Amino acid sequence: MAGALKKTPHQLPWILLLAAILIALAAGTWGAVRKIDYAWRWNRVPQYFAYKGEEPVKIPFDGRVEEIAAQGAKASVRLVSEEGKTMTVSVNQDMLRVSEGDDLFMGDTVGFKQEWRLGPLMWGLWTTLWISGVASVLALVIGLLTGLCRISKNLTLRTLTALYIEFIRGTPLLVQIFIAYFFIGTVFNLNRNVAGVGALAIFAGAYVAEIVRAGIQSISRGQMEAARSLGMNGFQAMFHIILPQALKRILPPLAGQFISLIKDSSLVSVIAITDLTKSGREIITSTFATFEVWLTVAAMYLVVTSILSQLVFYLERRFAVSD
Amino acid sequence: MIKATNVVKIFTGRGVPVRAVDGVSAHIGKGEVVVVIGPSGSGKSTFLRCINGLEAFDEGHIFIDGVDLAGRKTDLNALRAEVGMVFQQFNLFPHKTVLENVTLAQRVVRKRSRQDAEIKARTLLKKVGIAEKESEYPSRLSGGQQQRVAIARALAMDPKVMLFDEPTSALDPEMVGEVLDVMKQLAREGMTMCVVTHEMGFAREVADRVLFMDEGKLVEEGTPEHFFTIPTEERTRLFLSQVL
Ligand SMILES: Nc1ncnc2c1ncn2[C@@H]1O[C@H](COP(=O)(O)OP(=O)(O)OP(=O)(O)O)[C@@H](O)[C@H]1O
Ligand SMILES: [Mg+2]
Repeated sequence: MAGALKKTPHQLPWILLLAAILIALAAGTWGAVRKIDYAWRWNRVPQYFAYKGEEPVKIPFDGRVEEIAAQGAKASVRLVSEEGKTMTVSVNQDMLRVSEGDDLFMGDTVGFKQEWRLGPLMWGLWTTLWISGVASVLALVIGLLTGLCRISKNLTLRTLTALYIEFIRGTPLLVQIFIAYFFIGTVFNLNRNVAGVGALAIFAGAYVAEIVRAGIQSISRGQMEAARSLGMNGFQAMFHIILPQALKRILPPLAGQFISLIKDSSLVSVIAITDLTKSGREIITSTFATFEVWLTVAAMYLVVTSILSQLVFYLERRFAVSD
Repeated sequence: MIKATNVVKIFTGRGVPVRAVDGVSAHIGKGEVVVVIGPSGSGKSTFLRCINGLEAFDEGHIFIDGVDLAGRKTDLNALRAEVGMVFQQFNLFPHKTVLENVTLAQRVVRKRSRQDAEIKARTLLKKVGIAEKESEYPSRLSGGQQQRVAIARALAMDPKVMLFDEPTSALDPEMVGEVLDVMKQLAREGMTMCVVTHEMGFAREVADRVLFMDEGKLVEEGTPEHFFTIPTEERTRLFLSQVL
């Protein structure tokens, strides 16, 4: 409680200065955009989150419209085939294309069904999330194993992992993704998702390995000795004593790494994986709402990463009980 | 019980190799309390760490109940379970409660059920006088309390011998007594003990034999009476004149 001794400084002028700077920034941006005469069309953006899609409902056999019953805005249509099979479909009342008693051939449209569908931004977000999620889990496994190898007594393991880490950290992720897709992917006939997730996992794994190594080495030697002196073998001591303590300590840098991974995953759009970034690009080609879409995409990344850091913050406090 | 013959441990750190333990031969009989004293850097800790295989020695043999530590087929993990060790820095597991500290190795190494391990742990915690702290984390305990938990943790494995490496050196003076009392009680109960300490009072009162080490060598060995009244070696006398 060192702060309690100090007099609380006057915050108001600094708050005012902060507000002034933010307002100036906003005004400057606004002015600059005005100058280039950009027509904002924010109203076009929501449809890329979700939209109402129309889907034709077709009859799967030759048959007859037996009965049409209205159910609010929907109409439920009972169809009977020539063999006497019946089936009921539901379409929008105002998009009904048949009337009772009509004879229909297989594939004729009975009417249209309107439903909420997720737009490309949401699908892109989903792709980004699952790619990052799977890559994170793999990276954690890779990083844990290679981090342990990195400090093993075995020279071969140590050198191999050192080479791996050196190679990954010394080359750009974009290049690694190209290599994974165009070289390794071609040789082993991998699809783009496997290549993309693999490249991300191997990339992040190298950083996780270094974090794990540092975390394990930060645990005092006495912990390992105490565990061994009780008769535990190396694996038991690692599993019960060292790793739990190390993991708690490396949670913040690890979370930072996974947040980076979410952002880095935007690079897989170069091998035509339709993640959030690629969806944004595709939307722009059809709407030209460049500014709105990129700002929206940025905001979506920001939301995801801030939720994650809040979660980690919460976990850190939960774990702090034994300190 | 423990027999060491000609144990040599050489550290080859930067530059000159250090003969931390230099041809030490000693034995500790069943139920005996042996106190090791000597100036700082004389190799007391290293010798103790050799006895439970935390440090691999370069020459010589150490037999524990007839099993050779240096033997190629020796299962060091199994052997260590029979040798309890108490450290200067306690080395409790900070992420485990007191009770878990005492039960963990019982369950992992001795494969006891949770229930059996907890019964054993509670008995031992009561014995060292901290039964009421069983669900605290170590960081909430005083140094003396932590060290007593560490003793209980080692005892929980039913060791054949207990090694203590300066168990009271990291403690505030007012807590030294409580830890020494626990150790005295253990000695009375017939536990085989090897204690490195600077507590001469403890050595005089509890030890069956005292070993004096200097520069890696065992310089003198004898009963406390012999040791504190008529030491034969010049170096022993010099050391005692400094610490007493
Ligand atoms: N891991 C190590 N690497 C290199 N040298 C070491 C190592 N551990 C101990 N030594 C050296 O071995 C010698 C004996 O050390 P040791 O810790 O056994 O002495 P000690 O008698 O326990 O001293 P103290 O009373 O200070 O604890 C010292 O010279 C020390 O510097
Ligand atoms: Mg020492």
